[in-house]
Formats: sequence, C-alpha cells, structure tokens
Amino acid sequence: METIPETEEQTAATPTERLAYSIQESADLLGVNYFSVYRLIQRGKLKVCRALRGKLLVPRAELLKLLGTQ
Amino acid sequence: MSNRFDDRRPTVLEEQAHAEASQHFAEHLKQFPASREAVERLERNIAKSTLAANMAAAKPTPKENIIQVDDDGQWHKSVDLMDNICLCHRPITGGAEYAVVEHFPVRGTNEIWNRGWNAMEVLKVFAQEQRQALQIWTEDMTAQVKEFLVEKYPGQDMSRVADSFMHRFTHEVSQQHSPSHEQNHNRGIRI
Repeated sequence: METIPETEEQTAATPTERLAYSIQESADLLGVNYFSVYRLIQRGKLKVCRALRGKLLVPRAELLKLLGTQ
Repeated sequence: MSNRFDDRRPTVLEEQAHAEASQHFAEHLKQFPASREAVERLERNIAKSTLAANMAAAKPTPKENIIQVDDDGQWHKSVDLMDNICLCHRPITGGAEYAVVEHFPVRGTNEIWNRGWNAMEVLKVFAQEQRQALQIWTEDMTAQVKEFLVEKYPGQDMSRVADSFMHRFTHEVSQQHSPSHEQNHNRGIRI
C-alpha cells in the first residue's frame, strides 16, 4: 500500500499530549470496564481531579503510574 | 423509556436532549445496571461466601487454587466474588486469615483489597467499598450529563432532562435480567 507523505505543515503540527482523560477514555485506554476505573478511584489507586462542573478527570500521569511505566 | 418529567409534558427540545444524552451515554446506561447487580449479588451472598471460605480453610487447597500475591506470599483461593476478584484464605496460628484479592490484568498482578481474621467482616468491608464506588460513578454521571446538556443546549434550562436521565440511570435494570429480555426469550420457546 502506498503511504501518503506527510507535508511539512503536518509534521510540525504534532498534537500536544493530553494532560487528563475522562473515565470512559481511561477505561478504554486501560482496557477495563467503567466500574473497574471507579473502583480504582474509590480505592485510591487512581488519583483524580474534578473539572468545572464536577466531572472526574484522570491525569495522564496517574494512568502511566498505574501501568507502572512511570 | 422511563420519564420522570414532572406534571408538565416534556417539550420537543427536552425530548430531543434526553434522546441525545441517552445515545451519548449508552455505554454507561448498559454497564451501570450490570455492575450494580454484581454488587447486590455480592451483598446477598455474604453469608454463603463466608461459609464456603470457612469450609475451604478447613481442608487442604488444590495446587491450582494457590495465588501468589505481590509482596505478600501465597494465598489460597476460596470463593470467586466478581470478575478478577476472589476471597482467599491462608492458615495462621490458631485459625485462618482471609483477604479479598484482585487480579489486575493490566499489570498482571494480584493485590490484596482488604484482609482480616473474620471472613464475613472482610466481605462486608469489601461490599461497602463497592457501594462507594457505585456512588462515585453516580455523582460523576450527574456531572457529565449536566456538562453535556449545557454544552449542547447553552442558555436552556435542561434540569428536568438531567433529573429524568439520572432517574433512568439509577433505576434501569440490566439487559441481562430485564423482563423484556425474559419475555423475548420466552417467546422463542415453542411448546
């Protein structure tokens, strides 16, 4: 299959790594169901922060820590 | 769809918002009832699981039921509680010690959730913590739904939609055990 060469503009526009993820995104990244993520939060294994309206956000660093890659 | 709108009929906009929220959070609506049922099952079976654990502790454990727990030696699996979670025991002087052990597939590790000398107390603490996790989920869901509605319908009062959605979220029965599912199943039987 032919690959599409990246333009200079595309190469420069590397997206910044996200700092935090929603519960759904965290569950998808970890490959577990939503309840597992809430249980990890309850247990203090995942430290979370709250967005403006109270929605939980999981910092990227916490996910990496849980996976033992940081 | 269970509607909890008050006396006034929902407006077209409210119905549309409710449908959109239901679609957006479909996976939550599917997973929450199943998780709640797993916790309820755990609570219902505390006495039974305690008895099974006590009986298991009184006899030798088959090799395949031995679990290596990180930094805490070997435990003997007594009863499966939930996915990847079991009640374990190990002999100590004058009796047995019990622990809820969770296997983390992500890391491939086994970790102790809580432990004690009384299997029933260990299970009760564990069940209570599962309830707290469901509560965290419910609070987060409330916040997520409100955020979703504010972003989709800025300037509109969507509080009735949020209330209605949360009522559905906390009261819906999982597909696995819903009457409609059973009905469909029964319809398939031809005698």
